[in-house]
Amino acid sequence: MSVATTTLSQYRAQLRSNRLGLWLFFISELFLFGGLLISRFYLWGGTRPDLDQRLGLIVTSILLLSSFFMYLAEVGAEHENRRLFLFSLIMTALLGTAFLLGVVIFEWGGEIRPWDGAFGAILYGMTGMHALHVASGIVLILIVAYNGLRGRYTAERHWGVEACAIYWHYVDVVWIFFYPAIYLMGTVPT
Amino acid sequence: MTVLSLGIVRGLAGQLIGSALGIGVSVAVRVAMGLPLEVKEGAIVVGILVGAMGFMIGVGALTDWSKWMLGIETPLRLGPPEGKPSWTRYFGVDYSHKIIGIQYGVTSMVLLFLAGLLALTFRVELTTPGLQFLDNHTYNTIMSTHGIAMIAAMLVGVGAMANYLTPLMIGTSDMVFPRLNAFGFWINVPAALLIGTSMYVGGWDTGWTAYAPLSVNAPLGMQFVLLGVFLIGLSSILGSINVIVTVLHRRTPGMHFFRMPIFVWSVLATSIIAFSATQLIGLSFLMVSAERALGMTFFSPVLSPGAVAVGSPAGQVLLFQNLFWFYSHPAVYVFILPGLGIISELLPVFSRKPLFGYKWVALSSMAIALMGFFVWGHHMFTSGMLEGLRIPFMVTTMLIAVPTGVKFFSWIATLWGGKISLQTPMLFVLGAISIFLIGGLTGPPNGVSVSDLFLHDTYYIVGHFHAAMFGGFIFPFIAAIYYWFPKITGRMYDEGLGKLHFWLMTPGFWLQSLAMARVGLLGMRRRIADWDPGLGIETGQLMITIAGFAIGISMLIFLANLIISAVRGRVASPNPWQSRSPEFQIPSPIPEHSYAQPPVITGEPYDYAEPDSVYVSMSPASSAAD
Amino acid sequence: MREKIKMSDKKRAAYRTGIVVFLVVAALTAVEFYLASISGAIAVLFFIALIKAALIVRYFMHVNRLWTDEGHE
Ligand code: HEM
Ligand SMILES: [Cu+2]
Repeated sequence: MSVATTTLSQYRAQLRSNRLGLWLFFISELFLFGGLLISRFYLWGGTRPDLDQRLGLIVTSILLLSSFFMYLAEVGAEHENRRLFLFSLIMTALLGTAFLLGVVIFEWGGEIRPWDGAFGAILYGMTGMHALHVASGIVLILIVAYNGLRGRYTAERHWGVEACAIYWHYVDVVWIFFYPAIYLMGTVPT
Repeated sequence: MTVLSLGIVRGLAGQLIGSALGIGVSVAVRVAMGLPLEVKEGAIVVGILVGAMGFMIGVGALTDWSKWMLGIETPLRLGPPEGKPSWTRYFGVDYSHKIIGIQYGVTSMVLLFLAGLLALTFRVELTTPGLQFLDNHTYNTIMSTHGIAMIAAMLVGVGAMANYLTPLMIGTSDMVFPRLNAFGFWINVPAALLIGTSMYVGGWDTGWTAYAPLSVNAPLGMQFVLLGVFLIGLSSILGSINVIVTVLHRRTPGMHFFRMPIFVWSVLATSIIAFSATQLIGLSFLMVSAERALGMTFFSPVLSPGAVAVGSPAGQVLLFQNLFWFYSHPAVYVFILPGLGIISELLPVFSRKPLFGYKWVALSSMAIALMGFFVWGHHMFTSGMLEGLRIPFMVTTMLIAVPTGVKFFSWIATLWGGKISLQTPMLFVLGAISIFLIGGLTGPPNGVSVSDLFLHDTYYIVGHFHAAMFGGFIFPFIAAIYYWFPKITGRMYDEGLGKLHFWLMTPGFWLQSLAMARVGLLGMRRRIADWDPGLGIETGQLMITIAGFAIGISMLIFLANLIISAVRGRVASPNPWQSRSPEFQIPSPIPEHSYAQPPVITGEPYDYAEPDSVYVSMSPASSAAD
Repeated sequence: MREKIKMSDKKRAAYRTGIVVFLVVAALTAVEFYLASISGAIAVLFFIALIKAALIVRYFMHVNRLWTDEGHE
């Protein structure tokens, strides 16, 4: 982000490395989330807890919509359209917060507690680890919004925006797998 | 200059304050919720994590990033700090990979010595049957802490070699993410402190593997270890991402993949394992941590009334073993691949011959790294895992011997007919090969499920993996320290003391591993404070202890040699080994900005037999130095 | 002048991609939900999730920038 001190070609070289580094981090985290998914199948097998289906669909849609706004924000930054950029960014943060509240208040407020057998452990383990990433994503968005308001991103130099955006989409991708694994797959034991 | 200007002192203060704050706030929340005033394990978990954060803030590893978030530029500052003596660089955040490499190295040695001290303590206890001066729980705590501290020492040691050598060997001036590099080092310090503290907060008794549900019921010390290892894992992950990007993006002109020094290949392979598999030990330890602190039953096969009410299945103990070994088998390759890389790197230099089958050796590292992901079940033959899986895991385990064998043959062929000079680094390389051979030959009987049913959990296993780790990591690490010592300090170590070190340590180690294997075959179980005098293993046990002390004393000689020579050693020439590697073409000690101009690679790295062939051509500005 | 036009073309294309990907992923989510309600097999649900993830990785996360070095013009 050190704008003035580096030449554009230096910036580009570092950008290339930053991208690769961030993607490697994603791959690394894939093993974390993959481990949780595997634990889910190991412990739950073909069963799943009885969860509020409507809630699951709503939070999933909210997160997907937030990803769409994040995409718009990045397009805005790429074309130096500040209004689009900032508006979409704030929308993303709001939707992200709505997702978080949906999980923490309504999902965690349900019947199952963390200490209720493998259902509780995995349910809270998966949603908790994911929520932690959503929360950190929101913090990142706020930081980017703060710097965006001060006009610190240009069409040539906005790695901060890009990093924040692909991190956010990544968290969405994780949920794409977690949602069916938690809500849809298997049958509720009777 | 005050003490507080040392980063590490501020870090420690930060950790203390953070821990107190974390525990305090958690307890306050508890009280506010109307619960009785009590420090539960959950509060301590919060304290540990906030404490680690406090350390990182205090030491200053987060300062630049925080400024970036506020849009403040922070140019990368290199060179000794202003207004402070230059040795203070080593005790605070510094972005030079050479400083960070040394920081890793010293931390690794400190851990190595402390963990060794623990080992000698419980070896004295084990020399004779009956309980002498340790009770069962203390024995378990010391033995377990020895194990995990050694694992930590080796991971940190890998970080030392990777960070110091990789940029130099690929001809660049630093790692691609210097701040991440510093963060990755410093997170080890609070982590190591947590592991040390574990002994004083109730201890723990599971051995380094932390199998659930034993670890779920272990005393509080367990929690410290779980989180400490988690943080060290974080360091591993960040460090290896840094290495991978550096190797892929920062090679000097002309250095294509098959012209990299072989050590770089092995570090790349190690990093591929470390950045991915480490997440799973982190996850499994976090799960145990959560099960302890919150009662989330991932592993304990018990059903609470609440669980029955929601129709939930119970936790499963084998899940832990699967997650744990999925990392921890590949982890052994994280240690040994750099070690084997050092062996392949040094052999050509000291036998003045090309490395035999360079490409095969390079690719064998990659093959080992990838195949290592498919063998974890060989640790679980007796655990009650699915019987049909025994044969597949046995086959994959045996297959890994193929790429490992490639390395062995390459070493022998490299030595064959070479002009061998037996200086200390070379001695340790040869010692490493001999010991790794013991480790490699004792492995297959464990990998065959029928024989492992008898060997599992005996001292034979202890003999096996100590030989594998000493041969695969400790000996090469020592060889590397001797070899690059003149490059790092500009002075030569003492050859006489070095040879003494070698001739005390190597036979000591042969004796130790063979005796361990033997008492194991005779019925000595592992991880136990006492043994049956009827086994007839008195001599064996005594020999192990004596050998242990020989190794300990030899390590003290090593330490003395390093310290004395760094201050008073003979001044070394820039290239005392006539190495072709880029880092030996620049002055010693290496200047702040290693290469004045990027060196250009024009030939093959190991053409030692052809004196005229050029590997590195230095641009005029910097070659004037030698 | 020409540059400007080109720029806004690009921008429009970007919007279109975003909307199409969003709609497809949303539709797939609905399909998932419906399949699950009539007891969908785990493999099928997983396959749909894979497609959704691939779309996001390719079009929202621009994984191809890793090798084409695009963006930031
Ligand atoms: C020829 C190659 C090798 C084979 C076939 C092999 C096989 C095995 C097997 C089957 C076990 C489990 C034994 C048991 O617990 O019953 C084992 C344990 C172990 N091996 Fe190896 N091994 C080989 C090389 C290595 C190497 C190179 C290392 C690394 C430094 C290593 C480190 C370990 C460790 C640390 C353990 C003990 C784990 C524990 O605490 O339970 N092995 N080995
Ligand atoms: Cu293994």
